[in-house]
Amino acid sequence: MTATGIGAAVRRKEDIRFITGKGQYTDDVVRPGETRAVFVRSPHAHAKIKRIDTAEAARMPGVVAILTGADLANDKIGNLICGWMIHSKDGSPMKMAPHPAIASGKVNHVGDAVAVVIAETRAQGRDAADKVKVDYEELPAVADPAKAQAKDAPQIHADIPNNTIYQWSLGDEKAVGDAFRGAKHVTRLDIVNNRLVPNAIEPRAALAEYDAGTDNLTLWNTSQNPHVARLVISAFVGIAPEHKLRVIAPDVGGGFGSKIFIYPEEVVCLWAARKTGRPVKWTAERSEAFLTDAHGRDHVTHAEMAFDGDGKILALRAKTIANLGAYMSTFSSSIPTYLYATLLSGQYGIPQIYCEVDAVYTNTVPVDAYRGAGRPEATFVVERLVEVGAREMGLDPADLRKRNFIKQFPHQTPVIMAYDAGDYNASLKKAMELADVKGFGKRKRDSARHGKLRGLGYSTYIEACGIAPSQAVGSLGAGVGLWESAEVRVNPTGSVEVLTGSHAHGQGHETTFAQLVSERLGIPFENISVLHGDTDKVQFGMGTYGSRSGAVGMSAIAQALDKVIAKAKKVAAFMMEASEGDIEFKDGKFTVAGTDKSAAWDDVALNAYIAHKFTGAELEPGLKETSFYDPTNFTFPAGCHICEVEVDSETGRTEIVNWTAVDDFGTVINPMIVEGQVHGGIAQGVGQALLEGAVYDKDGQLVSGSFMDYSMPRAHDLPSFKLGLTETKSPSNPLGIKGCGEAGAIAAPAAVINAITDAIGTEQISMPATAQTVWSALQRANAARQAAE
Amino acid sequence: MAMTMTGEVQLPAAKETVWAMLNDANVLKACIPGCEELDKLSDTEFKAVAVSKIGPVKARFKGNVHLTDLDPPNGYKISGEGDGGVAGFAKGGATVSLADKDGGTLLTYNVEAQIGGKLAQLGQRLVNGAAKKMADDFFANFAKAVSGG
Amino acid sequence: MPKVSMTVNGKPVTGNIEERTLLVQFLRENLRLTGTHVGCDTSQCGACVVHVNGIAMKSCTLLALQMEGASITTIEGIAPSPTELHPMQEAFRENHGLQCGYCTPGMIMSALDIVRRKGHDLDEHTIREELDGNICRCTGYHNIVKAVAAGARAMAK
Ligand code: FES
Ligand code: FES
Repeated sequence: MTATGIGAAVRRKEDIRFITGKGQYTDDVVRPGETRAVFVRSPHAHAKIKRIDTAEAARMPGVVAILTGADLANDKIGNLICGWMIHSKDGSPMKMAPHPAIASGKVNHVGDAVAVVIAETRAQGRDAADKVKVDYEELPAVADPAKAQAKDAPQIHADIPNNTIYQWSLGDEKAVGDAFRGAKHVTRLDIVNNRLVPNAIEPRAALAEYDAGTDNLTLWNTSQNPHVARLVISAFVGIAPEHKLRVIAPDVGGGFGSKIFIYPEEVVCLWAARKTGRPVKWTAERSEAFLTDAHGRDHVTHAEMAFDGDGKILALRAKTIANLGAYMSTFSSSIPTYLYATLLSGQYGIPQIYCEVDAVYTNTVPVDAYRGAGRPEATFVVERLVEVGAREMGLDPADLRKRNFIKQFPHQTPVIMAYDAGDYNASLKKAMELADVKGFGKRKRDSARHGKLRGLGYSTYIEACGIAPSQAVGSLGAGVGLWESAEVRVNPTGSVEVLTGSHAHGQGHETTFAQLVSERLGIPFENISVLHGDTDKVQFGMGTYGSRSGAVGMSAIAQALDKVIAKAKKVAAFMMEASEGDIEFKDGKFTVAGTDKSAAWDDVALNAYIAHKFTGAELEPGLKETSFYDPTNFTFPAGCHICEVEVDSETGRTEIVNWTAVDDFGTVINPMIVEGQVHGGIAQGVGQALLEGAVYDKDGQLVSGSFMDYSMPRAHDLPSFKLGLTETKSPSNPLGIKGCGEAGAIAAPAAVINAITDAIGTEQISMPATAQTVWSALQRANAARQAAE
Repeated sequence: MAMTMTGEVQLPAAKETVWAMLNDANVLKACIPGCEELDKLSDTEFKAVAVSKIGPVKARFKGNVHLTDLDPPNGYKISGEGDGGVAGFAKGGATVSLADKDGGTLLTYNVEAQIGGKLAQLGQRLVNGAAKKMADDFFANFAKAVSGG
Repeated sequence: MPKVSMTVNGKPVTGNIEERTLLVQFLRENLRLTGTHVGCDTSQCGACVVHVNGIAMKSCTLLALQMEGASITTIEGIAPSPTELHPMQEAFRENHGLQCGYCTPGMIMSALDIVRRKGHDLDEHTIREELDGNICRCTGYHNIVKAVAAGARAMAK
């Protein structure tokens, strides 16, 4: 291992600009003559728009234009789309309602845009927006997914009865039924996977500029995948042809999924920029972000697990209602189906699995991928069932897991996925040692002496990452391929630029991608730069989500590097008048086998461009290669998280006292960055388990719509974490990487709830397990115990 | 976001006097906290503008107020809805009933209100307190008006 | 529009601004010091923390006009020279105390204030409690806590 190669904890290149305040986030970009967009948004969850009166607003100082849904329709701007087709079990296609960037005729959630004011300043825009008069006729609303399909629920979209988008299933229902009939023990759980708001600290923003001279549009936006944004905005929304639209996602302040999607506001900024001839910028206020960023999770599930007399799992059955909100966001349909039910086998050999999912519309903000996306929901179902099952059967939860772990690879689950590598015992064993599970009994007694209830919870999770083989996802309904692209440009001086289709918004690609290049080419880390996020500079790429940038994005770079080295060898052969087959390349030096002839990297690079040593007929000048890498399988990161809590029985307050995580991510490029990803993921998972919840009241008002009421973990809500790694390489990509971005968020909620329920001795608890929730559960359990006595 | 509130106040005046004042736009305007305008459109309809501040959200509400279920001099239902622009909306009603008591009048009220938009999003934890304070202020003012203060 | 004068990162500045202009807007929009960020509208996240006369404050909660005569330091003003880093900046980098970097300027400005109030020898508990006003969604705080402790120690040298 070199100091800057694969496996080194290299300090990040990107940090210098961030710690000095010189990052360039979208809102930091200023264009001459820039105006500001301020949206007028519905305060009602469901209402007809009877009339919009913009007359007074239009006379306000600084107003450049006021545009409504009618203008959008007049200009034939297309709707936003969901790009993944799901078919119901009866074979019918999912029912996608139109999603205009500005509502016309009807609003379907609080925050739905009804008009936009373009003004010289944001303050003037706000003043004018306040003067736009909208007459609404309120309609009854439904926010709760469990009630959306009821007979008396209001129908949100015409022609979509029962608000049901699809009724999908996976697995063999009959075989599962048979297995349950033969079971010795069945564990049943009702689970609500609470609705979350991703809340990247940088609010979403968009800045659009139109150049009338060239008829080109440029969009700066907070995107995790600028090329996909450009494709959708041109091909479906029809704002401009793809080659006339440039999308730049500069520094992006966190995404966690919420910045994957194509949103109304960027469409409106582009449209308004062309209409007004002025650059148009929109930056979300936090309260606006709460009402417009896609939320996550929001499942209601009934799940059952069947065991035989030896604690072997026979089958799993789940029925889930997934809330997709008022409109179908870009990838929303795939989350509660192919990213959820396909992971219900967990780390276990489960012979039969059957899952039904109904996706429903409600009068709430659209729901789509949020860190983990479907996999945290699946892990929560599986890991709660296993833990509760063990407790019900009087077995040790770790033993029950071991009994059921998959030990042979490859392993075909009954729910599509074929796991290719892993060692689940190894991560469980290592985690139990690190967590000192042996000493838990003593710690529990110590806690009891202080009036505290101590509990320990496991989560042995698995996820499918490295998203994804294009052919596989295509057969499941995806509208795009999920390969990744890379271009490696070697300059005449030997320095290298990597252009990647991946996008970084905290992951540190400028560092890790350079580590790969430094290792492969043997050139100094400083001589490598990584470029991403600009469709004018970088070839088409698919962006960053689903822990795919290492497994897929870096594999593309590795493949392009192979091509670069092959070409450079040809150049070196001409330089040293040797045959190409005799050229060896190592540590940045080309040598002719069996001789002492050598050529340095920089020399070869220069010779590739000056082309003095070969004719054009023999070899094309230049040294630049592109690769589009399509993985052969998903990757399957897995591991074991152990959470230890202390619950104050007087107040119900839970404190996480220990956290141990042992993960198998395959090859690790930079352990420092990988650990950081795990920390952040755990924090979000703990947030879901203990603190966070997007709460809608029965009228569809979001009542936890600010950082005052939507509680995210702060520093004192979390402990320091104990981390460990095990390693089985992924066989499905050349680097053996599995991906690490989502593991924490996937593993953590079940570990926390398993620990709390262990501490308080009742399973009846919902997330977020706030002090009040835990206290009430304790009271109920005590009352039940007393009644029984 | 829905909320309910009930209460009663003892007023030092006869039921008829209280009833008349409850129907007097000028008295109401003086008593409603933050009321900037209250114009009588008919005997049972008013146009109102009121400013209120709930937590971080301050808004000027414009809307109509209706009187229904009139039962002079025993009570009525007063209801209204206000549009607070970007702050959202508030609507609701109060059943007010009057009864003779201890030589004066006992006024009982039963409020049901609903808020939406930014008000609900940012102000919901504070809205019950704010509404209670508004009702208290109103009846304190009203009691003062009734006693000729 | 009224006029305001203050010192920002050691340089005197003036501006004619609307009364309702917030300090963070004045810094970002008028002075183009975009290192100070805005992450919320309820004074919760701390992305906007700057020093006002040496004390950490949330610049989203101050009117620029209130700052008449004040001395403001932002993230752009703490390094000893354009080619050097402040020890606290260095500590954030060394300990991987940042990912997307959006909360980072506010974190660093708050960290400096913790050192001012609590000294150079900071335990984990103190740091975690004192960071109450700053939210980071990326790091899980583990490395921020380490960075603040290391930065505080380095500042003593
Ligand atoms: S911007 Fe969030 S506290 Fe100032
Ligand atoms: S580093 Fe992204 S919010 Fe802290």
